[in-house]
Amino acid sequence: MSMLSVRDLVVTYATRAGPVRAVDGVDLDIPAGSITGLVGESGCGKSTLGRALMGVLPEAGKIAGGQIVFEGADLVALSPTARRAIAWRRLSFIPQTAMNALDPVQRLRAQMLEVLVERGGLGKAEALARASELFHLVGLDPIRLSDYPHQFSGGMRQRASIALALALEPALVIADEPVTALDVIVQRQVLDVMRNLQARLGLAMILVTHDIAVVAYACDRVAVMYAGRIVEAGPVADVLENPLHPYTMGLTHAFPDLYGDDMTLVPIDGTPPSLLHPPAGCRFAARCPFVQPRCADEPPVMTGDHQAACWRVDEAAELRALAATPATWLPK
Amino acid sequence: MTALIDATGLEKIFRSRGRDVAAVADVSLSVGAGEALGIVGESGCGKTTTARMLLRLEDPTAGRIIFDGTDITTLRGAALLKFRAQAQLVFQNPFDALNPRFTIRRALAEPLNNFGVPVSEHAERIDAVLHRVRLTPPAAWLDRRPHELSGGQLQRVVLARALIPGPKLIVADEPVSMLDVSVRAGILNLLREARDALGLAAVYISHDLALIRYVCERTMVMYLGRVVEEGPTKELIAKPAHPYTRALVAAVPVPHVTQDRAQLPIRGSLSDAASVGGCAFRGRCPHAMKICTDQAPPLRSITPTRQVACHLEGAML
Repeated sequence: MSMLSVRDLVVTYATRAGPVRAVDGVDLDIPAGSITGLVGESGCGKSTLGRALMGVLPEAGKIAGGQIVFEGADLVALSPTARRAIAWRRLSFIPQTAMNALDPVQRLRAQMLEVLVERGGLGKAEALARASELFHLVGLDPIRLSDYPHQFSGGMRQRASIALALALEPALVIADEPVTALDVIVQRQVLDVMRNLQARLGLAMILVTHDIAVVAYACDRVAVMYAGRIVEAGPVADVLENPLHPYTMGLTHAFPDLYGDDMTLVPIDGTPPSLLHPPAGCRFAARCPFVQPRCADEPPVMTGDHQAACWRVDEAAELRALAATPATWLPK
Repeated sequence: MTALIDATGLEKIFRSRGRDVAAVADVSLSVGAGEALGIVGESGCGKTTTARMLLRLEDPTAGRIIFDGTDITTLRGAALLKFRAQAQLVFQNPFDALNPRFTIRRALAEPLNNFGVPVSEHAERIDAVLHRVRLTPPAAWLDRRPHELSGGQLQRVVLARALIPGPKLIVADEPVSMLDVSVRAGILNLLREARDALGLAAVYISHDLALIRYVCERTMVMYLGRVVEEGPTKELIAKPAHPYTRALVAAVPVPHVTQDRAQLPIRGSLSDAASVGGCAFRGRCPHAMKICTDQAPPLRSITPTRQVACHLEGAML
């Protein structure tokens, strides 16, 4: 059962040249009690999608169509007041830089109390106890509640912003590149905190990231985005080990592995299309080594649990073999 | 093989709030022509400061740097300028490394002017370097400005700018960290090709061990300003000798679902750095012994190609 169902969501940004369709017809189902990775490159719409779900789009952005059904209610149709009642209570957000979640001139204690008392309706003593418990939960010494954010290291700040996001026991947490700015050891520690909390509290989590390795480490499911659309989705093991979409196949050969053979890495030639005037058919067609005439005209559709938006999905096994050869990706 | 660059006992002390802080302490390294050395470590480990000292962008407070047989530690004026032409930095962020108002032609002519290359040679050298970084045909790129280029194309221009003076050494600090995954491979392949074709010595700084493994045969691991381990990259990843390297290797996520999720063999955080004396890693080390508090472990050889600064008797190997 999905706790969050997104249907045909369109998010546009107003620009001088016209509306840019940053998210363009996205369907996504988030099952309860799992971590879903939303992965893609800069400009693919993953952060915009995350922010649209949370209702924190930047000023120029707006939801231009579709539904976001969360625990039975369509968030798109709700009034801003009704939306706010859900946001932060049932649904919460961990931004990329913890400094955006934390107020630099307030001690952590005051920030935790603000959320717990004003939004959560707890009494002060109760809130203080809960703040200590939350700090403990994310691996911070409750004594540090008297500190200011600047007295924290990057990893500690990210832990504090996770504690803030969990304060009101949300059912779904959306984390936008939560470990990107962190060093690898701290990154691993923060991911472990998130995984443990997710399992202990039975949360659902959406982890927006550009890093497939982070998805492989921390997520149960993954949705791969390209040029405003989801091009492949399914259980992590299936998508990463047996990708169906040529873009996913390309990504898995494009960056170095810590182990493995001395293969030559293969970049994906070209750049994503403009979202001001996106192509009619498959958006990856211009960069795809396996392109066929129909790809240019008709956008492929997705069906099934492990699914990909590709017309040649039935030939995926042969294409995977070809995709592993560098020559396949050479510009023609 | 004689090294192209040979640094001994490099130290950099910054004064911070009235206290001396050693950003880099007693770092020695050498890199030969055609060889690539990786320096890895977390933020604040001194890897960037070390790289900047090698390029004389930062003056060491102690130590000596020999480049191509000449002591460059205190070079000034014309001699320093001549060194700069031979030792170039590849900038990390292609989005702000180029003047947005300059065409690619002008961006590439600028270093030639700085190093006094006669204008009559410019066109030919610019053409050659654009071929080298695969922005072809060059004529199609010369009159473009940075905003017309993608991140990957910009990084090629940044690399071309570093190569155009004809350096013998290039230093790249996180050369692809600002780029999308699908285009990183193109830049990394160019770095490998350029090094092979031109016989460059290269020093790559990164927090990403997998990337370093792709471009460097040899790697140095730094922790809090000191070298804790050095050796052939693949050996160092397969069998890390220093407890810190072990934690670092274990922490790198890999793009496969079957990966070790065991707790990292490290305690605390960087702020638990041990105070003066002894091993700086002891506060976080799962193997810390009494001697680690009493004595800083010297960098010692454990095989003919590997060095480690740890009191453990080769136990990690």
